[in-house]
Amino acid sequence: MTINAMGEGAKYKGTQMTEKQLSEMIEKKVTEAKQVCEGDETSDECKVAWDEVEEVSQDKADLRLRLEVEKKDPLESFCLENPETEECRVYDD
Amino acid sequence: MAVCSAYTTQSLHSTCSISTPAKTHLGFHQKQVVFYRRSSKRGGSGSSSGPCVITCSAGDSQTVVIGLAADSGCGKSTFMRRLTSVFGGAAEPPKGGNPDSNTLISDMTTVICLDDYHSLDRTGRKEKGVTALDPRANDFDLMYEQVKAIKSGVAVDKPIYNHVTGLLDPPELIKPPKILVIEGLHPMFDERVRDLLDFSIYLDISNEVKFAWKIQRDMAERGHSLESIRASIEARKPDFDAYIDPQKKYADAVIEVLPTQLIPDDNEGKVLRVRLIMKEGVKHFSPVYLFDEGSTISWIPCGRKLTCSYPGIKFHYGPDTYFGNEVSILEMDGQFDRLDELIYVESHLSNISTRFYGEVTQQMLKHADFPGSNNGTGLFQTIVGLKIRDLYEQITSSKTAAPLEATKA
Repeated sequence: MTINAMGEGAKYKGTQMTEKQLSEMIEKKVTEAKQVCEGDETSDECKVAWDEVEEVSQDKADLRLRLEVEKKDPLESFCLENPETEECRVYDD
Repeated sequence: MAVCSAYTTQSLHSTCSISTPAKTHLGFHQKQVVFYRRSSKRGGSGSSSGPCVITCSAGDSQTVVIGLAADSGCGKSTFMRRLTSVFGGAAEPPKGGNPDSNTLISDMTTVICLDDYHSLDRTGRKEKGVTALDPRANDFDLMYEQVKAIKSGVAVDKPIYNHVTGLLDPPELIKPPKILVIEGLHPMFDERVRDLLDFSIYLDISNEVKFAWKIQRDMAERGHSLESIRASIEARKPDFDAYIDPQKKYADAVIEVLPTQLIPDDNEGKVLRVRLIMKEGVKHFSPVYLFDEGSTISWIPCGRKLTCSYPGIKFHYGPDTYFGNEVSILEMDGQFDRLDELIYVESHLSNISTRFYGEVTQQMLKHADFPGSNNGTGLFQTIVGLKIRDLYEQITSSKTAAPLEATKA
């Protein structure tokens, strides 16, 4: 459970969900890659599987950098226009 | 004010014949007038008869295009942030658009992520057994057409590659900015795109540093371990070496990041040795130098006037060749710990294209929380940003409003 201190971390529910989603994807794709590569480490499937891991890992890192360093939630401008949507709910815990 | 530029596939004196205008399904908003010339059929040059298209675009068609090759995600990297900051204003994703857009827009600059030109989405790449590094996963024709259009002052509808879903989303409108930066894995891969670049940079991270950085990046993730991080780098290496690395010989500036030589056996990747490799003879770009241009200098600023903490700072400057090109290399090994170290170093560098004394230091301080702010990566990224500003100013002041150049009858 991510702690939502003022100005740090995800502000909107949608972004919290994305963070969680990305973390889960990383875990899943690492497991997949290990399985795929068991047969042949030099196969195309193995390459692609680890490339996917890299893509998602970078994405998670980009999001974290944005939230922690820039302190800006990517949904900021969307949520200003659509504050009632599910993903724009704000948590104060 | 409309400026009309003439495009021909060959010289204006050759035969032009009627042909259909450029493909319109690629998402252009433009007014094109096709002129043709009756040939005098006397010793016409060659057999090819390409179209003579005169494109009229409203407004300023002086977009300067910069290419940045980097393997670290795109549009969100620290390099981009430093670069846009030099021009003033913060870079933001397009307001009111797709929240997963990779594009960043500030007053002067628009940064486009080249992942948006993936021809295959994540599923497609999996099916074909092709990584994102592979040229087969990218639509270079579209990349070329759109960068060319933006450069000539025409807005385009650019696809969006959604990194979260791995799908290609509906396009977003990109209006021609003063400075367009294309960032990603393949800005210099296609020759046609390369020719559109006014300046290009390649960020070359050595394997040891890459490994150290990815450990810092990924170890906190539940799914990762040292082994998975290593395996991911190894698996991508063949494609990286085959398709991405060869671009560096085309770059006007290469920022090479290596492990430090100041600490024996250091493998944490925290202290870095960074080399700024600058091509000589590039239009509007005068390489940065230390003390005496063209000579070879070794400089340790720490001493009587400046006290530094361990491991200190070491500079090197000198001419060299790089893939057959004449270059000048400025190198920094070590870390800045205090403000006065930074300002001291800045005061000894020449050709840094600052507008006032201390501008480099000011820019570095502005982003003190960005990675690399205490070493050569931040320093050289900031300096390259200033050189790009200088290049932009030179290009825009040298262009005058050209009258319509009609083909001679």
